[in-house]
Amino acid sequence: MLVLENIRYSRNSNDIIKGVSMKFEQGKVHCIIGNNGVGKSTIGYIIMGLSDYKPNEGRILLDGEDITNLSVTERAKKGITLLWQEPARFEGITVKSYLSLNRKIPQKEMERALELVNLDPKFYLNRMVDKKLSGGERKKVELASCILLKPRYLILDEPDSGIDIMSLDMIVNVIRHFKENGTGVIVITHRKEIAKRCEYSYLICAGKVLLEGKSERIVSYYEKTCDTCGHINYLEEN
Amino acid sequence: MDIVKGYEKEFDQLVEIYEKNTNDRSLRNPAVATIIVSGNRVVGLNSVNGMHVTSRVRSDGLVMIDVEIEDNTVIPVPVHLCTGFLEKKGEQLLRFNYIIGNNVKVKFKSHCILTRVEKLHHHMVSEMYIGKHSHVVYEDEHFHDEGGGVFVETITHMKVDEHAYFGSKFYETKTRVGRINVVMDVELAAHAKVNLESKIYGRKNDIIDIKEIMRLNGEHASGVATSTVFATDSAQAHVINEAYGNAAYSRGHIECNEVVKGSGVSVSTIPVLKVNNEKAELTHEASVGRIKQEQLETLMAKGLTEDEAAEFIVNGLLS
Repeated sequence: MLVLENIRYSRNSNDIIKGVSMKFEQGKVHCIIGNNGVGKSTIGYIIMGLSDYKPNEGRILLDGEDITNLSVTERAKKGITLLWQEPARFEGITVKSYLSLNRKIPQKEMERALELVNLDPKFYLNRMVDKKLSGGERKKVELASCILLKPRYLILDEPDSGIDIMSLDMIVNVIRHFKENGTGVIVITHRKEIAKRCEYSYLICAGKVLLEGKSERIVSYYEKTCDTCGHINYLEEN
Repeated sequence: MDIVKGYEKEFDQLVEIYEKNTNDRSLRNPAVATIIVSGNRVVGLNSVNGMHVTSRVRSDGLVMIDVEIEDNTVIPVPVHLCTGFLEKKGEQLLRFNYIIGNNVKVKFKSHCILTRVEKLHHHMVSEMYIGKHSHVVYEDEHFHDEGGGVFVETITHMKVDEHAYFGSKFYETKTRVGRINVVMDVELAAHAKVNLESKIYGRKNDIIDIKEIMRLNGEHASGVATSTVFATDSAQAHVINEAYGNAAYSRGHIECNEVVKGSGVSVSTIPVLKVNNEKAELTHEASVGRIKQEQLETLMAKGLTEDEAAEFIVNGLLS
């Protein structure tokens, strides 16, 4: 189990995350939902341990082990990974090389991962992971890379952003693939359509967990309340 | 292949070093046009139909090589130009003169094998004319000694005639640079196109100077010049990219990316864009700095250490 215990995080004297506690299980699909700017992605970055995202208070526990002070690499080696909302581009690196990352991965496995994200391996394996890929294509390559990593916990930051509406089903299928393979998925989104497909949700408002529970109930509350109230975060911080 | 009598051993040694560094066996293939220079001597020469090569050595040691390719010639396999130096110290002076006819298609692969020298000044001046509607690619790869005693100066002046294309790749990424000064000055006639690309990896106290100039003299001429430098330790790298839009509808883009690692490096990039015709369009892009944190962390989130991630990124940049 991956546990966040009373995480607090501030930047430039602004309290961004104000005492958040969460639990994530392997083989289960979780959602962190909330309006833009409430701190959803920040929670994802804190779990991954990115530089500039060290919590001021609280602990992150993986199967009881405190990983709060571990580096990004150490967390990744323990099975945690992150799909960025806008994945970085790399000059001169082919999709094939990016997917393998110097590991010995059979080509068939790479092809299957690309097919799962609706990319034709024949056209994509030798393309570059650079700015010539569209935002949607880049995101799909990143999803394929995550599939090959077989993580224990996967943080998906706005997995549908930059991807066409037709690909929504693909994302749902990929999330199902992760679940079936025992990965604990943490979906960060403000899209109800995505959140509804998750099992357990945390509704974030102004850096706090406002509500948690079965996704159906949380999404229903979010629809009724948060859609018409986008400024709580702004009002509190000012 | 004509191997000059008495220089068979030097020829073999150069070919061996080349093959070891590249896994390419083309130099002994009789179907491949080759010019092999060792020190101040041409030691091997092989020509193909439509291509004429002559060489002579001046009394001061300057090796002069003229390459002429007839109109409408298509050379299906790359022409290999191999210049090497097998002594410990010295000076290598080279002058290449290329005249490439109209409707020619050719690719040159140049290799500079300077892996055994302690101190060398390699000075090469090239003049190249590319005829109308021709398509010429020139790839230049260098292999230098790890001691850093090599000083390479390579100065190229080119004229690319109407509707012709010239693509150039200059790579010094696999071995130590020492000191390098690359100047590429290209004039383009109407509808001519050029794509200049240079990639250099500077280590220790290497000194890198790159100057690329595109003179877009003809209407609809266009060009892209891209320089990528990775500088570590106390390497110095200074890049100047110039583009002159001298004719209507000419378009040029220059790009310089310098990635640094280490507190002792010194890098700079100076773009010069000058439009002399209101219908010309020039653009510029540059970045100088460390490897982007988001790139490093993307790879670290997949289990690579910071050093492994940096190496992976740099290998891509310089590939």
